[in-house]
Amino acid sequence: MRRSIITAAVVLLVLAGLGSVAVATGGGSTVTSARLERSLTASFSQVYSQQARLLGHRGVTPASLHAKAMCDNGGSNVGPGSSWNCLMSFHDPGNPMPTTGYGKFELNVHSNDCYTAGSPSTLVGFQTITDKQGRTVNNPAYEFDACFDPGSSNEPTGVTFPSALTITTTALTPDPQGRATVAALCGTGADGCVGSITVTTHGQKLGSVPFHLAENETAKLTLPQLPPGTKEADLAVSYQQGVGSSGTTLPVQGG
Amino acid sequence: MTATSTLPASAPVTAGTPGRPGLGATIRWELRKLRAQHRTKAVLLGALLGPVPIALVIHAQGRPPKDTLFGRYATTNGFALSLLILGFAAQWVLPLLTAVVAGDIFSSEDTHGTWKTVLTRSASRAQLFTAKTVTAVGFAVLTLLVLSASTIASSVLVGGHQALTGLGGQLIAPSTALKLVGASWLTTIPPTIGFACLAILLSVWSRSSAVGIAAPVVIGMVMQLVGAMGGVEALRPFLLTTPYEAWHGLLAAPRFTGPLVEGLLTTGAWAAVTLAVSFALLRRRDITGG
Repeated sequence: MRRSIITAAVVLLVLAGLGSVAVATGGGSTVTSARLERSLTASFSQVYSQQARLLGHRGVTPASLHAKAMCDNGGSNVGPGSSWNCLMSFHDPGNPMPTTGYGKFELNVHSNDCYTAGSPSTLVGFQTITDKQGRTVNNPAYEFDACFDPGSSNEPTGVTFPSALTITTTALTPDPQGRATVAALCGTGADGCVGSITVTTHGQKLGSVPFHLAENETAKLTLPQLPPGTKEADLAVSYQQGVGSSGTTLPVQGG
Repeated sequence: MTATSTLPASAPVTAGTPGRPGLGATIRWELRKLRAQHRTKAVLLGALLGPVPIALVIHAQGRPPKDTLFGRYATTNGFALSLLILGFAAQWVLPLLTAVVAGDIFSSEDTHGTWKTVLTRSASRAQLFTAKTVTAVGFAVLTLLVLSASTIASSVLVGGHQALTGLGGQLIAPSTALKLVGASWLTTIPPTIGFACLAILLSVWSRSSAVGIAAPVVIGMVMQLVGAMGGVEALRPFLLTTPYEAWHGLLAAPRFTGPLVEGLLTTGAWAAVTLAVSFALLRRRDITGG
């Protein structure tokens, strides 16, 4: 009995000691955005070149891609988790970047410094691809696993990409006073989205609405009053910070 | 004493301790006890034959087990298949196979009430402790080698030996991949020895084989859980299960061996502390009660 109590006390002391070490060092995770940015660009360049070889695309090598990435977990940018997003740009003449200039990769990072990366299908295609011999094969770049060295450099890479603004509303529904709102989403990126939306109906400029969104923020913007009987409205977007489409035309419901 | 003094001069007698067998004889005796146990044979046979059906079953899966490292290619590549099994074995199979002998080797003397017999006449406590530890660690390493060879052979036969996609996205040529897979399995020797020493401590302390065998497996699983949690990563270097993941660095590009070195230090510390405490407990034990 006495032996069991002593043992239990020793075990508790050891656990308490280790726990305080963990707290004192602030988590001490080796998972950081800088290490992920370096590792992801290297591993993606490898799997993308593999894909190019399968497809028979010439001239794509890990070095020729010049991949650059910016990773963010929507918080402290340290520690494992499935909320890591990386924006990456790379140079393949046969596969230009979208208008934003980058693709968004989703990472599930584990505490053992390994992660699974999911690539945007707009840039690398789907789970299976047809190789140059016409066979259906697994797409090595679609999803891939990698591990990084916990002792590798943790210096910031200094790569930043602007946030992309997306207007998520597909139709305007004005209230009886002719006021309509549009929902806008500012994606992951540096410095958020700042600019204004100018509304034009039937060739007549109604006014403009400024927006100022932090990254990963959505907002409802109230447009200038729409005249009765408006069928559609042209929205022109200008940016001081951030990127995105320059404008869109939305139908007006019940107008 | 009188019996040894009448031995013919040709019979070698260890100098210094006449009448006492040397360490070699004590180890031979422990090995003989080990060979007589069905459990030992069952573990070795399991390590030899177990990987064959496991490799066949995983290879036959329609959907690869993508949530585990190397699971993505486990159904199409033998090297990936053997590394998937390595990741799985390190979770609890290796601690269990090790503890079956290491967790029983001291407490079985309690179970059979044979401490008096083995200590009073034939060998010193230090000798017996060394012999039992060497035997338990030796058995752990042997089991691990059998399991590694069997897993790699059956995986490559079942899954084929195509080029392997490594943990840096790079393609690894089959000949290099085979070497790296073998080396990866070998990197689990230090933590397995660490678990053998932990099982020895639990076996000496509890005097119960059930605790000696089951507790290291449970402790190993708790360590896995703690090591996988976010927020307490500072504990990872102290866990005995972290070195089981050090092989990842061998398959990354560029290769890194920092975790391997760190793992050696960790397991060395665990082994030293657990063995020291075990010996202290054993030396102070009153065996006259039976």
